[in-house]
Amino acid sequence: MELIFRVNGRSERLELQGHETLLDVLRNDLCLTGTKDGCREGECGACTVLVNGRAVDSCIYAAMAAYDADIETVEGLAKNAGLNSLQNAFAESGGVQCGFCTPGFLMMLTALLDKYPHPDRDLVRDALSGNICRCTGYAQIEEAVARHVEQRSGE
Amino acid sequence: MSQMPKQFISVSSQEEALAQLDAHGEELQILAGGTDLMVQLQQSGQRAQRLLHIENIPGLRNITCNGVTGIGALCTHRQIAESTSLDNYRSLRQAAAQVGGWQTQMVGTIGGNVVNASPAADTLPPLLIHNARVTLVSQSGGSRAVELGRFLLGRRQTDRRHDELVSGITLARRPERGRDCYIKVGRRSATEVAIVGLAACVTPGRDGRTLEDVRLAICSVCPMPKRLYEVEHLMQGEEISEALLEEAGEIMLKHIDPIDDVRASKRYRSMVAPRVLKHAIACCIENVSGDLRPWN
Amino acid sequence: MSVLGESLVRTDAAGKLTGEARYTVDYDARDLLHGALLRSPVPAGRIKAIDTAAAESLPGVRCVVTARDVPDTLAGWVLRETPLFAGKQVRFEGEPLAGVAADTPEQAKAAIAAIKLDIAETEAVGDMKAALTENAPLVHPEWKSYQPTSGEDYPRYGNIASELVADNDDVDVAFQNADLIVEDEFTSNRQYQAYIEPKSAVGIYRDGRYTIHTGHQYPFNIRDRVAQYLAVRPSQVRVIGHSIGGGFGAKLDTGLEPYAAIMSKLAGGRPVKLVNNRTEDMLTCPSRENATMKIRSALDKQGNLLGRELICHMDNGAYSGEMAFMPSVIFHLAGSVYKVGNIRVIARLVYTNTAPTGAMRGVCGVYFSAFQERHMDHIADELGVDRREYRLNNLVKSGDSLLNGQVLDDADLLRKGFEKMEEAAPWKQQDKNKKNWHGIGIAAGTWITNSMPGSVQLKLNEDGSITVVTAATDNGSGAVSMGITQIVAEHFGLTADDIVVTMPDTDVAGYDGGSQGSRTTHIVGRAAGIAADELKGMIFDVAAGMLEAGKDDLEMVDGQVGVVGDPTSRMPLGDIATAATWSRGPLSASGSYTTEPVPFNPGCASGMLFPYFPTPTYHVHFAEVEVNPVTGNVRVVRYIVVQEVGRVINPAGVRGQIQGAVVQGIGHALYESLRIRGARYLERSLEAYRLPLAVDMPEVEIITMEHPHSLGPFGAKGVGEPAIILAPAVIACAVSDALGKPFNRIPVSPEEVLEAIVEKEKQG
Repeated sequence: MELIFRVNGRSERLELQGHETLLDVLRNDLCLTGTKDGCREGECGACTVLVNGRAVDSCIYAAMAAYDADIETVEGLAKNAGLNSLQNAFAESGGVQCGFCTPGFLMMLTALLDKYPHPDRDLVRDALSGNICRCTGYAQIEEAVARHVEQRSGE
Repeated sequence: MSQMPKQFISVSSQEEALAQLDAHGEELQILAGGTDLMVQLQQSGQRAQRLLHIENIPGLRNITCNGVTGIGALCTHRQIAESTSLDNYRSLRQAAAQVGGWQTQMVGTIGGNVVNASPAADTLPPLLIHNARVTLVSQSGGSRAVELGRFLLGRRQTDRRHDELVSGITLARRPERGRDCYIKVGRRSATEVAIVGLAACVTPGRDGRTLEDVRLAICSVCPMPKRLYEVEHLMQGEEISEALLEEAGEIMLKHIDPIDDVRASKRYRSMVAPRVLKHAIACCIENVSGDLRPWN
Repeated sequence: MSVLGESLVRTDAAGKLTGEARYTVDYDARDLLHGALLRSPVPAGRIKAIDTAAAESLPGVRCVVTARDVPDTLAGWVLRETPLFAGKQVRFEGEPLAGVAADTPEQAKAAIAAIKLDIAETEAVGDMKAALTENAPLVHPEWKSYQPTSGEDYPRYGNIASELVADNDDVDVAFQNADLIVEDEFTSNRQYQAYIEPKSAVGIYRDGRYTIHTGHQYPFNIRDRVAQYLAVRPSQVRVIGHSIGGGFGAKLDTGLEPYAAIMSKLAGGRPVKLVNNRTEDMLTCPSRENATMKIRSALDKQGNLLGRELICHMDNGAYSGEMAFMPSVIFHLAGSVYKVGNIRVIARLVYTNTAPTGAMRGVCGVYFSAFQERHMDHIADELGVDRREYRLNNLVKSGDSLLNGQVLDDADLLRKGFEKMEEAAPWKQQDKNKKNWHGIGIAAGTWITNSMPGSVQLKLNEDGSITVVTAATDNGSGAVSMGITQIVAEHFGLTADDIVVTMPDTDVAGYDGGSQGSRTTHIVGRAAGIAADELKGMIFDVAAGMLEAGKDDLEMVDGQVGVVGDPTSRMPLGDIATAATWSRGPLSASGSYTTEPVPFNPGCASGMLFPYFPTPTYHVHFAEVEVNPVTGNVRVVRYIVVQEVGRVINPAGVRGQIQGAVVQGIGHALYESLRIRGARYLERSLEAYRLPLAVDMPEVEIITMEHPHSLGPFGAKGVGEPAIILAPAVIACAVSDALGKPFNRIPVSPEEVLEAIVEKEKQG
């Protein structure tokens, strides 16, 4: 079966069997290995990507369901100028340790911030209920969001 | 992987979906957000089936409130959680906000939750207390509406025929002075499969002491979510008292069948369910959400 | 300009934030094969036959391997008892029986499914109680034949994998003379490390050598263990590190590495990648061991401790790995915080037919502290004295000794920790002001900085930057990407951008003891300091000639060398490096370090495999919890850590370690548990094994006590582990306080809490 979609703004055309998950297609067919596989049951959120702006667990999302969709992955965040504001805030706040969950957090937060540009801490924490970080204990991730919001509103 | 379906059919209109279901319904598995189905397919080694992807059907994503409240089958949990048009159905919004993480809520649909008929489906108790009706459409039979309580036949079993598509759910008008809430017990505050989930809608009497109307429904303590008519019957018109609540808890325990599983023991479920009932009634009377999540 | 104490961004942050970082699971090659393992479906059994004929003939299959195809040898960290594949006897559910490498993961899985397995299931030794009953089946009937890896044997027998006994006749006298005896029994369950990257490995066999790609905490241990399994010299194995998606102690010994290596050999040298799915990972992970402990204390009328008896049983699972050391850790901990009088310690590691347990962050200390602190609360309650006061009255002091005779020079830091805590949260006030359903707890702990050796080679590059060649690994802690980087930069007055640290490669770098026991910053940082001093000497030698000045008149400022007091004389390091390279040859220097052995009394106990407690640090924690009266769920509303750190190199890094460790500790205290029924885990997915989520976790208030260590790099000691050891302790104490009932099991379950609530309600 043919899958046509756009990933990080680029058109892609792939031949699939039909049963593949979006995660496998991104990692194996498109070599976008920034999206991580942590559980394959939609519990850890490491595989979160955006499908038409919605944050989905790509490990339990059928690739063919993304036909004609716009997909954004962690590889699409940094522009030519370097890390984007959220990524920078993560770096500066110490929101990254082992880094395996980080792409999923960034994508979930990108979806959240798109809809709620000034989320309070409770909203951030609620929105992160589908993302597990085993290293940081979350405090510096929450701080990174606050830092990003503050810097953006200062711009 | 080897158990995954071999084919994927995506439809972009209801007519197309119904035609596919009419022709191949028995071998088609309907895929909306896929948050339950994809996990099942990856883990359980289910028989290879073809997937009918309906997520792109327009018109099934609306929440309408002209007279009756209608919720399109493809409305997502997050959409419901954030919908102010559903302010009269607080319990449903609360439940939708507690289905898995936000990733699940952003693509998981109410129609999927209903058709999946999991014993632990969060949205079902609120739908049951609001006398929801499920609308099913088919190419040959047109449209029919079934009470949710009759639609659910057992654990993961429903009255849907293979050629039918659930197109939406309608809710009865909430009693004018009724207050409702959904209380979910999980070990964490989020991303839990309910240990017990209970929805209540209580209309306090004008005298401030009696319970004019009580509706209750529960999940995760029986093969499928269900109304607790016997308990409702006991409480209807009665004066609220500690003794009444005790008795209500006891009757409830006679009509549920909690089991031991990895999430909680039968003993814990039996201990906590009556307490949740009391808590829910109290929250309705005080008109607070009663949400056990910390920020509410 | 100093970079010490600065929250510099970790050097690997950008790669991890853009998806560029390569973890083992991201490894790819055109000729890559995908491996899969057939794992035992039963916890105990005799293998009658493994028929691989059908599997071998399936499309895409390049090799099938069983015990028949690998060297007939046993491997192990402390004891050589573990086969690569079970050949005759299966000892735990999930034990590897066969492996397949094929062109695609699907083909490998199909081949695994096609292997015909005939196992006669036998009675499993499901738990420690079963293992210790008379006439229990032996998990290893051939235990006597096993060879200790170091050559020196230690106390072990039957189902006891390792035993420490420290006895003292005066203990019985103490109990005879006691005015009060307080007795408790405690249990704690297993905790899964639950790193987000499941284990994976790539093996490549080429030119008679094995190369292994793995994001691993301890590459040299992989080298040595693979060499044991495959019966080659360690130098015939090369281990190349990658970014590590979390470890927490689970990635210290081999996981999939030897399987990938042998399959590559059998498949003609093509690289073979193995990746655990989450369930496999949970079933076979060396999780924190479950344990039971009986503590009995003899006290006089004033509450002075006359004597104590402590019997601890730790579940080893089927194979012992590094667990044989653990009974010694219990022994050291027993005298590390409070004065205990005459003491008897019996600590046993017990074989069962369950997944082998291992070292999770804060080995033994997490449950030991919970048990000890609950026992302290119990004694205080019996005596009718304040819990904090009772602790203060019994703290060990500077100059006191551990039970092995090792003198604790700085133990007064414990009292100082209590004082700091009092400033942040005055105990009596907290106690008085606590709301209904709230409880508070306070606990103290002493923890080690692992002493194992490390080494560093520093190379001065012609552009003035420095490359640090080391096998030290950054498991995410920042010990390398912040710690070592900043330490090296500081020595030369450089910025972090001037420092390049290589990924571990056992062919290239010197031996390193791995990211464990909070050791990397302290040990490798010290080794870096030694190398830096030598390299600086070389730089000054060259610069002295270039500046026509005496070597002793030179100084290094902001990456430049100049004559002291003459800013115009400064010469960039790059110029010096270039000049040196083309005159005398490139400049590089090495440093190695390991903690010097501490004097101790070897006769104090039998079975003391881990003889002393190196470079201790001192800590005090406080927690306030709220119990939900409807559900019995517990929520931590306030958490404070006072942690002694030696010296803070990177404040954001230290904060991340403490916050992260506390949250793992809260997870274990309230949710996380691998429960065993019939020798099998109940929890087999992340849905069932609940990990802490952001919504439930407090922001930890952190107070660091700096107390520079004379041999630490700029005074730094270990930071990564200590903050986990007291979390279950303070939480169990706080829940017990909230409900006025002892909670002596970890995790504290809502069921147990709700029972206490119901009981309390009945009493009115």
